[in-house]
Formats: sequence, C-alpha cells, structure tokens
Amino acid sequence: MSAPIKRRRDGRYAVKLDPGVRAVLVTMSEQLAPVLSPHEPMTRRLFPPAYTGADDQGAEHDYRELVDDALVNYHQQAFTVVAETANAEILTESELNSWLSAVGSMRLVLGTRLDVSEDMAPPPPEDPTAPEYALYELLGQLQYLLIEVLSAELPDEGRPEGDL
Amino acid sequence: MSETAPPGFRGRQVEALPVEAESPDLDEVNKTDRPWLVIVWNDPINLMSFVTFVFQKLFGYSKEKATQLMLDVHYKGRAVVSSGTRERAELDVYRLHEHGLWATMEQST
Repeated sequence: MSAPIKRRRDGRYAVKLDPGVRAVLVTMSEQLAPVLSPHEPMTRRLFPPAYTGADDQGAEHDYRELVDDALVNYHQQAFTVVAETANAEILTESELNSWLSAVGSMRLVLGTRLDVSEDMAPPPPEDPTAPEYALYELLGQLQYLLIEVLSAELPDEGRPEGDL
Repeated sequence: MSETAPPGFRGRQVEALPVEAESPDLDEVNKTDRPWLVIVWNDPINLMSFVTFVFQKLFGYSKEKATQLMLDVHYKGRAVVSSGTRERAELDVYRLHEHGLWATMEQST
C-alpha cells in the first residue's frame, strides 16, 4: 500500500484520502472561514496575545491593531484553498502548506472547545463529546502526514541565517 | 500563502531619539538596548513534530536545534526561540501566531 500523501517527481503531491475526510475538510473550512475573528469565542485561540505583562496592555492593544486583520486574512486564505482543493488528487507544495495551516487551525479550534490536555484519555463512546474528539484525532493524523512530507523538504542542517 | 509581514510592519520606523537629549538617562538607554526575547509556550494541542517543523521553516534552524527547542517547550513549558530588536521580535511573534503557536515577547532583564 502506498503512502496517502506522496511527493511526485515533478515536485507536486499525490493525495489519496478517504472521501469522508475530504468532506470534513470542506465542511469545516466553510464553517470557520466566515466566523474567523479574535472576538469570536470559537476562533479566539487563533489570535494569541504577544504581550502578557501587567505593564504591556498598551503594547498588546497596538499589536492587535497591527496584526488582527492580517491574521484573519491569512487563515481565511488557507480555508479557501482547502475548500477549493479538498477533492483534488494532486496538490502543489503551496496548496499542501495551506492544508497544513488550515488543519492546524481546525485542531486548535476543536481542541480548545474540548479543553484537551496532554495525557487526556479519549472520552467513552457514549460521551456527547466523543464524535468531536474523534474528529480532532482524525485531523491530528492528517496533520501528521502533512508534516511528514513537508518537513522532508527542509534541510536538516538548517539555513545559513539560522544561527541564533 | 507567504511569510511576508502584514502591511503595517513595513512602514514601521524606529522612533527617532529626541534631539534635545544632551545627557541621556543611562537607565533609559540600557532599557532601549536590551534585546527582546521571543518565547514559545507549551500547549496541549500542537503536535511536537509540527512545532519542530515551524522552528525549522521560520528561523532556518537545523533539525537538531529545532528539535531541542521543541523539547524545551514541551518539558520546561517554554523556550526562547529568537531575540533582537522590538520590531524583529514582533515580526517573529506574528509569524509564530500565523502558525498557531502560543508565542509572546518580553524584554530581557
């Protein structure tokens, strides 16, 4: 059996995924894109604070003014790409990066809503959150596959400017 | 999708020093000179391999260094991932926020 996501010789990626997974990507992208906002409780996790010190409230206010629109645009663009390409068999690296970004955002939204912790056991099947938790896990498996193929393209030794 | 700065960052200038400052307050000078640290905090959602990937991609760190920083975040709760001027740090925090990481910045003491 071949890998679900595989880099081709032309630098694009062959994507073999269950139609159900693809449908989830479309649905979630279409649901999240229009409500993306730092003021919307469901998507607030996508807008973390930069300054958290007691004396930094002014700086945090300025930071939000500077970046919130750009962050909304960034995430919206990723959701748009995913909604448009969710059923494609072949994706470019750029499209796959949008998938990684959008799937990561979906997990952050779901994980925050489920209030997950690191050593959390999955809820029992009769638990009302079980379906959402299963979706969270499924997106985690997809994200893992995406990271695996995309990180293979990064040089192990880093880039020259990457010295702290 | 790119990693370019949002429009606001490009026009941002470092504030000019006041001309009339003949003998600058040394504490103030030191405060201005102290670098800003970009800190990534542990969170229960982002995958470890994703955090390593983001450090490699954004900062050009080697896989080894990115992995070590990720492990620091995971086991110590936080790690300083870059440092520099306030503008530089703010841009790094923004790029980490694009990727959903819990990043903050503070001036070193």
